[in-house]
Amino acid sequence: MTDVMTLDSARADQWTGIGLFLLGASMLVGGFTMDRLEIRQIHPASIPGLVPMILGVVMMICAALLTLGARQQSVSTTGATQQFQGPVGSLKSLAFTAGYSVAYALILVGLLPFWFATAIYISVFYIHFSWQLDTSLPCRMKRVGLGVAFGIVGALAISTLFEHGFLVRLP
Amino acid sequence: MEAIGALVLALQQFTTGEMLIHVVWATLLGILVGSLPGLTATMGVALLTTLTYTLERDAAILVLICMYVGAIYGGSRSAILLNIPGTPASAATSLDGFPLAQSGQAGYAMAIATAGSALGTLVGIMLLVLLAPLLAEAALSFGSFEFFWLAVFGIIISGQLTGGISPLKGYIAGLLGLMVAMIGSEGIHAHIRFSFGVQELNGGIGLIPAMVGAFGFAEVLDVMWRRSARVIDKRQDEDRILPKLIDIWRYRITIARSGIIGTMVGIIPGVGEDIGAWASYAAARRTSAERDRFGKGSLEGLTAAETGNSAVVPGALIPALTLAVPGSAPAAVLIAALFIHGIRPGPMIMIEQPEFLYSVAVMLLFATLAIAFFGLLLTRFFVMILKVPREIMMPLVFALCVIGPYALTQRTFEIWVMVGFGLAGFILRQMKYPMAPLVLGIILGDLLDKSLRRGLTLSDGDLTPFFTRPISASFILVILVSIAIGIPAVRREVSNILERFLKRQLNR
Repeated sequence: MTDVMTLDSARADQWTGIGLFLLGASMLVGGFTMDRLEIRQIHPASIPGLVPMILGVVMMICAALLTLGARQQSVSTTGATQQFQGPVGSLKSLAFTAGYSVAYALILVGLLPFWFATAIYISVFYIHFSWQLDTSLPCRMKRVGLGVAFGIVGALAISTLFEHGFLVRLP
Repeated sequence: MEAIGALVLALQQFTTGEMLIHVVWATLLGILVGSLPGLTATMGVALLTTLTYTLERDAAILVLICMYVGAIYGGSRSAILLNIPGTPASAATSLDGFPLAQSGQAGYAMAIATAGSALGTLVGIMLLVLLAPLLAEAALSFGSFEFFWLAVFGIIISGQLTGGISPLKGYIAGLLGLMVAMIGSEGIHAHIRFSFGVQELNGGIGLIPAMVGAFGFAEVLDVMWRRSARVIDKRQDEDRILPKLIDIWRYRITIARSGIIGTMVGIIPGVGEDIGAWASYAAARRTSAERDRFGKGSLEGLTAAETGNSAVVPGALIPALTLAVPGSAPAAVLIAALFIHGIRPGPMIMIEQPEFLYSVAVMLLFATLAIAFFGLLLTRFFVMILKVPREIMMPLVFALCVIGPYALTQRTFEIWVMVGFGLAGFILRQMKYPMAPLVLGIILGDLLDKSLRRGLTLSDGDLTPFFTRPISASFILVILVSIAIGIPAVRREVSNILERFLKRQLNR
């Protein structure tokens, strides 16, 4: 048996249940304390906080059920042989894709002209993932060249389409 | 007669060079998007919506419908050749498609999938033309009370059927979507809720950035995370790329039944193409003479799955057009696109723009003809497309995910929303939370909120009309039965009772 917590495990569900319960409670409090617009003499049944309050209560019930169900599940599987099969994919690839893509979207775009930021993003993305495919120097150089060319062509195509085709002022 | 006249008129209107060019490129792009594992129809329609802002109304909707039909069909390519459904809708296709490809009949499997998809969409189009006006008429008698229950019904059914392991996670996803819809200015008193002083949140969370994030960015992460698969390109000499008419005739009942099942599944809010395919597949296996071949390369199984998922497309458009409640996730984006292009879907559509329904039927017909034509003609080409490395495709997709939502309002805030929903969507998917109820929650949140408060205002705070009006009472009954069936103990008890009843009937 392993102690590793995967995202779809009962333990993860227990923690998510607690988080969702707090979210529901905040929604309930948020709805309850929301302005009731008495000054505008609206009907009391149409206050803006009504549906958030209901959603908060329902979420708290669902979260409690999720936590209880997950706890029962983890109790029933304790002692049983659990085979941890590991993640379906590469965490390194995931971390790079997520980190690099977020950095491109939230930092590079806006800091640099859109086409330039996009060319860098596409090129580096391609070079990073094709780097290990062939380790010989000439092949790597070829892939770098390909990546740069591909990045420039792709970035110019997207920028031109949006800037001139759809008349968008690019970021 | 009136319907036929309107259809002929719509047909004339769309048979122009410009429209046919749109059909060709949008369908091909749709097949391409559907073929590539990880890129779904929802993502395709969401991204393409951002590219249709400048097109005129009919051309824009035509392009989006061709993308939708093409992508659902295109998913069969990778299901057959890679054993990875290009879209979730093609999961049932891979059960029989992949064994056929392994035995060297990939070309014929794709031909049968093409025929099934085209025929399924045709059955769906017929039902769309027949049922949508009836539903729109019935929906005219809906008031705030009924619309409230319709929204609840959509979330519950969607959560129930797409939750997979646990309907509870489906309901939670739906609730999260509803909570997102509570952000920003509400629809009755224009009071701003949960904006936390952030001015950009005053207008609420845009559906397009949220969908592009949840279906685009999350899919880029998913594709790059998973190990890549190998294309099966083994060919037998007798493999062919045109379906035999005798095979189609042999499975005519399966095609008709799967078409009807798919369309009906499509009508149920938020349920989607995957359930249409699985339901059709299960029905075909129950009645088939070759049921032992199902899962091992059965042409009938493949036909049922493909007919079923494609028939969902016209089916999903029936509630989308007549109630403004999407039958599937791509239909949800389509509703947003309709609003962007000045069409107001809902019960009034048959009064305000009755011709639009028939235009949609013609658009679907053109898309169907295009998938049949290109599907059969470009079989080998699509095998090549599947070999395009993901490290080339994915950065391009993500760059479009960034610029597409930005183009809508030209605010960088939309990029933040897209990134936020992408990361959250990826984590939720890994935790087995379905995305369809979340999307439906965002769409239906406003309807639910306004209908409940309007209904309560009309009844002066009295809850009784919510339970005593006939349509409301029917909705409540269906909702309660759905929730009860989702509880394992109840489900076991019901199946025990049914089993005992059937045994007693057989013994008589």
